[in-house]
Amino acid sequence: MTDELVTIEVDGRELKAKPGTMLIDVTDAAGINIPRFCYHKKLSVSANCRMCLVEVEKVPKPLPACCTPVNEGMKVSTRSPMALGAQKGTMEFLLINHPLDCPICDQGGECELQDVAVGYGSDVSRYSEAKRVVPQRDIGPLIATDFTRCIHCTRCVRFGAEIAGVRELGATGRGEHMTIGTFVEKSVDSEMSGNVIDLCPVGSLTAKPSRYKARAWELTQHDSVAPHDSVGSNIHVHTRNNRVVRVHPKENESINEIWLSDRDRFSYEGLNSEDRLTQPMVRKNGEWQEVEWQEALEFAVKGLQSAAGSDGDQLATLVSANSTLEELYLAQKLTRGMDSGNIDHRLRQSDFRLDGNDSPVPGLGITIQGIESLDAALLVGSNVRKEQPIIAHRLRKAAKSGAKVSFINPLWIDLHFEADQFVSTPAVMVDNLASIAKAASAKLTGNLAKLVKAAEVSETAKSVAEQLKSANNGVIMLGNQAAAHPDYSLLVVLASAIAEATNTSLSYIPALSNSVGAALAGALPHRGPAASLVEKCGANAQMMQSKPRKAYLLMGAEPGFDFWDPSLINSALDQAECVVALTAYHSESLASCADVMLPIAGFAETSGTLVNAEGTWQSFNGLVKPQGDARPAWKVLRVLGNLLDIDGFDQNSSDDVLEELKSHAAETAIDNSVSTKTAGELNSSTEGLYRIGDVPMYASDALVRRASSLQRTNSAEPAAVRLSANQAKSSDVEEEETLVVVQDGNRAQLPLIIDPRVPDGAVWISSALPGTEKLGGQFGVVTLEKA
Amino acid sequence: MTVFKNYIKSLFLLELLKGLRLTGRYFFAKKFTVQYPEERAPMSPRFRGLHAQRRYDNGEERCIACKLCEATCPALAITIDVEAREDGSRRTSRYDIDLFKCIFCGFCQESCPVDAIVETRVYEYAFEKRGENIMTKDKLLAVGDEHESQISADIAAQAKYR
Amino acid sequence: MKILNNPLQARNKEEIFSEEIRQDIDCWIAKYPPEWKQSAVMAALRIMQDDNGGWLTTELMDDVAEYLDMSPIHVYEVATFYSMYELKPVGKHKICICTNIACMINDSDSIVKHLKKKLEIGFGEVTEDGRFSLKEVECLGACGGAPMFQIGRKYYENLTPQVVDSILDGLE
Repeated sequence: MTDELVTIEVDGRELKAKPGTMLIDVTDAAGINIPRFCYHKKLSVSANCRMCLVEVEKVPKPLPACCTPVNEGMKVSTRSPMALGAQKGTMEFLLINHPLDCPICDQGGECELQDVAVGYGSDVSRYSEAKRVVPQRDIGPLIATDFTRCIHCTRCVRFGAEIAGVRELGATGRGEHMTIGTFVEKSVDSEMSGNVIDLCPVGSLTAKPSRYKARAWELTQHDSVAPHDSVGSNIHVHTRNNRVVRVHPKENESINEIWLSDRDRFSYEGLNSEDRLTQPMVRKNGEWQEVEWQEALEFAVKGLQSAAGSDGDQLATLVSANSTLEELYLAQKLTRGMDSGNIDHRLRQSDFRLDGNDSPVPGLGITIQGIESLDAALLVGSNVRKEQPIIAHRLRKAAKSGAKVSFINPLWIDLHFEADQFVSTPAVMVDNLASIAKAASAKLTGNLAKLVKAAEVSETAKSVAEQLKSANNGVIMLGNQAAAHPDYSLLVVLASAIAEATNTSLSYIPALSNSVGAALAGALPHRGPAASLVEKCGANAQMMQSKPRKAYLLMGAEPGFDFWDPSLINSALDQAECVVALTAYHSESLASCADVMLPIAGFAETSGTLVNAEGTWQSFNGLVKPQGDARPAWKVLRVLGNLLDIDGFDQNSSDDVLEELKSHAAETAIDNSVSTKTAGELNSSTEGLYRIGDVPMYASDALVRRASSLQRTNSAEPAAVRLSANQAKSSDVEEEETLVVVQDGNRAQLPLIIDPRVPDGAVWISSALPGTEKLGGQFGVVTLEKA
Repeated sequence: MTVFKNYIKSLFLLELLKGLRLTGRYFFAKKFTVQYPEERAPMSPRFRGLHAQRRYDNGEERCIACKLCEATCPALAITIDVEAREDGSRRTSRYDIDLFKCIFCGFCQESCPVDAIVETRVYEYAFEKRGENIMTKDKLLAVGDEHESQISADIAAQAKYR
Repeated sequence: MKILNNPLQARNKEEIFSEEIRQDIDCWIAKYPPEWKQSAVMAALRIMQDDNGGWLTTELMDDVAEYLDMSPIHVYEVATFYSMYELKPVGKHKICICTNIACMINDSDSIVKHLKKKLEIGFGEVTEDGRFSLKEVECLGACGGAPMFQIGRKYYENLTPQVVDSILDGLE
């Protein structure tokens, strides 16, 4: 195809376009409206709805604009009598079987069929016979269906095949009997399934959680940023009467295109959970009492001062990386103002041996859009499809255009693109990476040099090293399970050495929505704002727990669910004199160990800024009033700072806080450099049964754990012990048996499931699920006993 | 001349007699006032009085909570909350009309796709306490049940004009 | 370190179908380029249908999907689109009667009526003894001998109720 443009004429207007472009793309770009249903810019062209018929000069019949390539001198008329007649006729046919139930249809008011019918249809139908009715089908707790309304545009079917990568919906039957559905009784389980709701031009597929909750015209639309994974998808939050009613994606080609993961779409339900803490609470004589803010704050300040006033090291601050940049910045300022360096956001990390030599601001290092143009990627310890669905979608695009993607994982993962998976127990993961390092002749020193020297170079390691070497644009990505790995430091150094040797780049996929922001804000024991190394290094998350302090400040984190080792944090908090928790939820796990619970605003209730994996700062406003007496966390921290007599807590808005941070960190970019070539000894072992504790997709933070519809999906499985069939045989246990898991003296009773995804020698027990909140670390040796 | 004319007019009270003539004519003519409340003026089937919600013959409420009346109400007098009923059908959990706000324009009745909300011929009502001006769903349905025969007759009479 | 087949697609191709059926299907797969393996889906469905007494179960369609590396819904789509795939049990003799225009003008209606009465079944149903099932089909291209029907793979033309009786009586 040449680069020369052709000139066409549409409705008397001259337009230039690349030859071969579809007519509808050209008219869309020029702002000329052609009605359509099946055409969608992100999906393949199927040309089956026939709504976009236009008249082209010298062509005897109207042509569909969505599959008519433009040619030099083409004269198109979108509003000629022939085109209008064709559109009107199509509209009448489409409406033959469409029910007149707009008044009870959730799509009513924002329906493409309604709009186009008004714009291009006739005022009456000549059809008076019976209409087709399709029986109701249940395809899961997220999507409500009414296929009687379906006009067979097949956008949802194409979405499944082309974007989600799993073809779950299909069009069965023929002609009038054609119906969309799963054919067999089955739910749609893709992690991006909610997007079919947006794609559906009629009310066939609507959101079940917001079913009947509001009509389109009652909603106020606000821009915001999704608060779960590190993609920072842009969203539209729709509110009514000070309540979030639903969340839609906002188009941002460089981040989430037009898609949104189900977690980002439906997690808002957690906002209105019964668990919300709406009033400050204080534990007096062992009893929880609701009190006024003044009293609670004074109680907290007195507690903090008496426990850590004289010795700053006795204060430990543990913050969730889902907090906003402003909150994280104030939290570290408060902690450092108390003369303590003990602040950390890396609650799911256990290996901190690299601190000081670690990457200052770990992030993707490339743009999210840039993932599409990768030639090779090696992902270490990442179930990217469940953890960061949008990044997985981009990787899928890269893989489809020829990129070689490999995984080194402790579990087999279900992928929607071609990739090699090297699955082994956690200890062997390190060997696998060392083997690739050897094949790539990476330069390492000390301990790691020995490890690499001892590694066997297999054919597959060679091929991966070769793929990375030959790639113009390759990355080695470290995912959530790498960060939680007991030998994270080894993995990082090995990965960075391989990256150097193969001329690819090291990349981290941050776990939470503001993990990058936490590094910029200085919520780290060894790095202050803008990731500068501090003189007096504080205790990291692990040390704060293993050597209990007298005072703890928790923000947005639940001890049983947001920490690498729930048993460790619980015992540390139990021994503390004062535990101040800033939390949006009243959870059992907090109530058992905290002394003060201060209610903070949740997602969409506070203004703030999140920095996503590629380092983009995205600010948003508070959209609804916080529930009850809850207040934005930055305000709570500001007042705590004032009451503790610490300087620099006189900001009047979150913007002030942001400005202050920007004066330090505005220029700080993602920096994945690692300044060492060696690391410590191997922590993980091949002895005994080794636990692999991932964080399930719908258990990743407090908000999503309370999103009731997501919790009813098939992806939200209850806690269980998972073993491979071989391992179950050698451990002499049977499917569905209830087992007692013993880890570091902690016990939990869980059912056994035989799962081919688990490698032999390992046991898969997800963390962050009810039933596992008393267990030990995400990785570690466990024993199984019969109940 | 004009002065003389005016003098005669005022001397014989001609203007007064002219006025009395009109009074006299109506005094002896047939009366058109009605003796309310014993007598009632005739009403159009299009009369827009107190609101009512209707039911189908099987007792099922008609309203499907489409909120078109709420959207079209120029005085913002209608407030609706929706929920799925146990059987899954779309129903209102709250349907309030504030009669202080209502301007009786009849748009709600016009917009209703299922003829659920109607304005009846009832115009004799009064409020004694605060809050009585809010017509709740139960009150509306009660009005509907009471006047159903009249309402359906009126709708039937109007059918050909709609 | 070794690359394993993804254990999530654990079944080996050999485990899915019997040797004979595999040979039959493979013969069809060989007719298409390797990346268009799924083109053999129609042939594979036909082979499975014949093997299963004339109809397809969901499990069989799942097997075909797995064998051809397709998603099950894709196979369901094909199977429901073409009227010659049966998704419900059929009788030993499947009577496909044409009711399109040429046959209709030649009074196929009376043949239909006669068949329904004689077999005591309607369209899409199977006789109690499982011998016959009745199906209304579109034009089978034998308009010259209208009215006509097809039983199994054989066409019967110029039907009258009497002819129908003798044909049916002649069948096992």
